[in-house]
Amino acid sequence: MNPQLTARRLARPVDESMNLLNDVSRDALDPAYAAASPRRRRWWMVGLAVLVIGLMIGGSVADQLRAAPAEQLEREQLIQRVEQAAAASDAQRERITQLTRANRALSDGALANDPDAAQVQGQIDQLDPVTGMRAVTGPGVVLVADDAQDAQRSGSSVVDIDIRQAVNGLWQAGAEAIAVNGHRLSSRTAIRVAGDAITVDYRSLTRPYRIEAIGDSSALLRAFPSTGGGNWWAYLKQNYGIRYDLSPAGSLQLDADPGLGVRVAQKKA
Amino acid sequence: MFAIVGLILGIALGIYLEPTLPVGLQPYLPIAIVAAMDALFGGFRAYLERVFDDRVFVVSFTSNVLIAALIVWVGDQIGVGAQLSTAVVVVLGIRIFTNAAAIRRSLFHA
Repeated sequence: MNPQLTARRLARPVDESMNLLNDVSRDALDPAYAAASPRRRRWWMVGLAVLVIGLMIGGSVADQLRAAPAEQLEREQLIQRVEQAAAASDAQRERITQLTRANRALSDGALANDPDAAQVQGQIDQLDPVTGMRAVTGPGVVLVADDAQDAQRSGSSVVDIDIRQAVNGLWQAGAEAIAVNGHRLSSRTAIRVAGDAITVDYRSLTRPYRIEAIGDSSALLRAFPSTGGGNWWAYLKQNYGIRYDLSPAGSLQLDADPGLGVRVAQKKA
Repeated sequence: MFAIVGLILGIALGIYLEPTLPVGLQPYLPIAIVAAMDALFGGFRAYLERVFDDRVFVVSFTSNVLIAALIVWVGDQIGVGAQLSTAVVVVLGIRIFTNAAAIRRSLFHA
């Protein structure tokens, strides 16, 4: 073995690979300080450098202080705009309901003497409550769902698929009309999620979620737990602590779905 | 003493005057501040160990700030700005804590 090589290898410290950390902590005090000679302390120079550092820190702090109220203002303005848009949307829905009623009155008047029209209108009248075109009242069940009590920590909150499962389960159990937080469900209803909020027909819901279903109360209560939706919710309740409560209701009133309307119309020949 | 007064004066002036950097340099201000803090702690430790030299202090402060900003800027150009910024902060943080521990030992003998 080459003696020089062996000597050099022995001279290397055992923790050679730790050099980075050792160097960083050993050189924390710049070695130039120890090596500097003569040592001078011109305080004006130090003062100047320190002043610059202070300006940097102060400028950064001032920037943060200045930005905070501007961000708060922006946030408040956005909230205001969201609320205005929601109010406008509600007003439009009201108008749709009124116009639908007016249309119905007009069509009744115009088709009064037409027996074919009367038959078709009869069919429409039969389908209206089922499709969601008309407000309905009747006995049924109410399913109230809420996030787990420690939702902030565990993240166990109700999401859109849970609501969809509940609704499907209720349909399967024999519900005749369903509404979620007052929004009537129809074949055109979308239950989705936007950010953190569940939306029904693009309207955000706030918890707790109240699903009302009209139908035979006792039959619904009996059949729901064995449906897919019922099993889903039993699993959620057991494993995630999501709160849900299914109870009968004597009389429920569900509004019509304003989102339904005539899409295709043809003039009678 | 002079230095501490200067620092407080600088911070007060900074908050009052609200100096603004050119927009291109503003993202590098935080890393520059951390680099400046490293130089500051190093200077204070040198003072307590009676090896303080003003030239070393000014040079270390200037070079720290410039090199830290340069590294982060290069990182931004090649797309790893956040990672390089983290690396710079880690190294400066270790140095700051090492110096702070030495200062604590000098000041409080504990």
